[in-house]
Amino acid sequence: MSSSTSVGDLVSQPYKYGFVTDIETDKIDKGLSEDVVRLISSKKGEPQFLLDFRLRAYQQWLRMEEPNWAAVGHPVIDYQEMIYYAAPRQQEKKASLDEVDPKLLETFDKLGIPLSEQKRLSNVAVDAVFDSVSIATTYREKLAEHGVIFCSISEAVKDHPELIERYLGTVVPSKDNFFAALNSAVFSDGSFVFIPKGVDCPMELSTYFRINSGDTGQFERTLIVAEEGASVSYLEGCTAPMFDTNQLHAAVVELVALDDASIKYSTVQNWYAGDENGVGGIYNFVTKRGHCRGDRSHISWTQVETGSAITWKYPSCVLQGAHSVGEFYSVALTNNRQQADTGTKMIHVGPHTRSTIVSKGISAGHSSNSYRGLVQIGPKARGARNYSQCDSMLIGDQAAANTYPYIRSQQPEASVEHEASTCRISADQLFYLQSRGIGFEEAVSMMVSGFCRDVFNQLPMEFAAEADKLLALKLEGSVG
Amino acid sequence: MVAAMSNSAAVTASTWITNFLERLPAPAGELEAVQWRGREALSRQPLPSRRQEDWRFTDLAPLTALAPVPSPSSAQVGWPAPATDVFRLWLDAPDDFLNGQSLPAGLSLLSSDEVQQALGHTLAACNCEQHWPVELNQASATRVLALRVSGAVAPTLELVSQAAEDGVMRPVRVLLLLEEKASLEVLQIQLGSGCSLSSLVMEAHLGRESKLRHGLLALGEGQACFLGHLAVEQEPRSQLESVWASHGWALSRFEPRVVQVDGEATTTLKALQLADGQQLVDTHSRVEFRGPEGQLDQLHKAIADDRGRSVFNGAVKVPRAAQRTNASQLSRNLLLSNQARIDTKPELEIVADDVRCAHGATVSRLQTDELFYLQSRGLSAAVAAGLLKRGFCEEVLRALPAAAAAWRPLQRMLGED
Repeated sequence: MSSSTSVGDLVSQPYKYGFVTDIETDKIDKGLSEDVVRLISSKKGEPQFLLDFRLRAYQQWLRMEEPNWAAVGHPVIDYQEMIYYAAPRQQEKKASLDEVDPKLLETFDKLGIPLSEQKRLSNVAVDAVFDSVSIATTYREKLAEHGVIFCSISEAVKDHPELIERYLGTVVPSKDNFFAALNSAVFSDGSFVFIPKGVDCPMELSTYFRINSGDTGQFERTLIVAEEGASVSYLEGCTAPMFDTNQLHAAVVELVALDDASIKYSTVQNWYAGDENGVGGIYNFVTKRGHCRGDRSHISWTQVETGSAITWKYPSCVLQGAHSVGEFYSVALTNNRQQADTGTKMIHVGPHTRSTIVSKGISAGHSSNSYRGLVQIGPKARGARNYSQCDSMLIGDQAAANTYPYIRSQQPEASVEHEASTCRISADQLFYLQSRGIGFEEAVSMMVSGFCRDVFNQLPMEFAAEADKLLALKLEGSVG
Repeated sequence: MVAAMSNSAAVTASTWITNFLERLPAPAGELEAVQWRGREALSRQPLPSRRQEDWRFTDLAPLTALAPVPSPSSAQVGWPAPATDVFRLWLDAPDDFLNGQSLPAGLSLLSSDEVQQALGHTLAACNCEQHWPVELNQASATRVLALRVSGAVAPTLELVSQAAEDGVMRPVRVLLLLEEKASLEVLQIQLGSGCSLSSLVMEAHLGRESKLRHGLLALGEGQACFLGHLAVEQEPRSQLESVWASHGWALSRFEPRVVQVDGEATTTLKALQLADGQQLVDTHSRVEFRGPEGQLDQLHKAIADDRGRSVFNGAVKVPRAAQRTNASQLSRNLLLSNQARIDTKPELEIVADDVRCAHGATVSRLQTDELFYLQSRGLSAAVAAGLLKRGFCEEVLRALPAAAAAWRPLQRMLGED
């Protein structure tokens, strides 16, 4: 096809967030041992309970094996060759942004995350995490007026230790899996959100993660608690510079929703994916789980996964409260040599629980994109319902799209439906659009965004447009 | 603690194999070499454990509770008389399969040289020659029914095996070679009762433009266990229609595998499995397209009642060479009791872009609106439920070869006998 060459040229669009910020960082020596765990804990001045939590997790991690069941392949990761703590060198967290190292502010500006007052996105509070530490959190005072706590997890450990002790590790226990145990032992920072009883969080909350050092793993930990009747919408974004080595990102996200609470968690993941030959890129091995603890609670995961060399991630909902609702909307795009094994788990425990899964996978280049999901209906989940839909779009004949949906049901009064389909951008569809005067790339991007519409509709406004653009950009040159 | 438990389970499992191997008579006959091979493999391979992904849901306890010995049979219990257009072969007959009958036109026995050459070829092509249930069969089967099919065979070939005595094992091995443009209808009946084990390994090679209509009716009772493997290789423009129905086994594991060697073939798979009591019925199917323009239409239905457990794993592989494949798979499950369990896991692996692949799965009880409709017509709730269950089963059962009707599958499966 003649148009394929023109698209081919477009493909070489560079990863525009691949720059490295030259900033003095305070790193500890590489390697992992009990001393390193103690060192991280003492650097952060943590209370005893947290150190105990870390040490317990470290011991559990030593006894665990790296999971190998996912449809991804990578060279053996040497956990002793990694640095577990890196922080840009600056004193105590600044009271005002004016005191923050301008280089850091500039970094986030370049990433399109303005932290300075005059440039802030209206009505979005941002927590910016650079390597292992949180740099700044905006709009804190305004949120505090409503009783909402939004800060880095290290600050939360200092200011609200009782909340951390009460909720940390209750959704994802440290021995849950290999990477969760590793994270529990060495997590450095992340965000903490607490929405008290009956409060609708007045603005969108957002955390932006940036890996800057080449040999550092990022292990952030996010904990969101919505008390009875509270609601919050939270967005996570991430980028990393281009290195020809692989960096490990093993995060843990825990959500807790009590009675009538609602949490909406959206992710636009754009870690560096490695070059077209699969050199470099982030290994994104993340454990995300929400616990609908209360009756009528609601947890919704929306993810747009475009980056990372390898994605291994299954945001899940444990639906315990009666009439609780879990949702999972996902677009996962892989190109070049990227590998993604992603999906969700909906564990129906309580009666009349409902869940919806919409997963859209797009595979291009030599990539491999797997949906792996579990819908489990426990014996007490009377009247539970699940609907799952996973669609794959294949671009080119070298890409793989795999679907592994598990369904397990032990409750006759529950109903589970799953459907899946595969399609491609066909020449005749393109021809049709082109014959209407629509340019080639625009036609492709129209079809891709049409394919993903069900998911984009779930994203907060500002980010939906962004995600659409991101996808078009990532796909350029791969259709022909 | 978990480790300790699995250790002790491993001990009983390994002694089970040792004891089983000790009970086997010395290898002899046309399959001597295969028996040696199977025994050697079994002595090396541990019993599949639930730590293996493929056996995650399959508890082999009902099997290890048995102490089966392969032996020919002397009984034909509850067999209907064969209809006129049915050619029946008794696969456990004490002497040779034919027992004096002559094969219908179009069917001929393979010579022993041909058997040497062809046996195991399709298993290897389907990548399952080293599966544990296959090795178990190879270790114990003393003979194979190996048939060449040329031209259209008019009567339905009915292959019956029955394990009705306690402590017996019936290893059945079948090899079918369909020549170009040949066509055959086969109905396999596997009956089991008491503490018996039925083991089936069937291979079929479908030449170009040939057509195989295959039905398998596996009806068990009591402690009886069934392990079955079906391996089919399809050449271009061949047609396979395989329909299987299984019910009543304490443990039933069936693994049909189909490979379209150069694509362009048509595969239709239909299955019905019922699990009640404490039964476990497990189907692991796998269809692989190795060339373009292949077609698959798969329907798998299951009912789990009482404390029964139904497992389905359906893999469909569409590699790069298989452009313009059109594959669909549907898994429909009825869960009728709150102690029953359904596990269903479709698996779709696609590396070709110009394909149409769809799959779907549902798990629910009988639809309340359908029950309501029937009750509004004056039927009692029980009759309405029975009618719906019957309808659910019939969609598959009616696709069995017509000769199956004599074995009254619906009545036996729904307990209406």
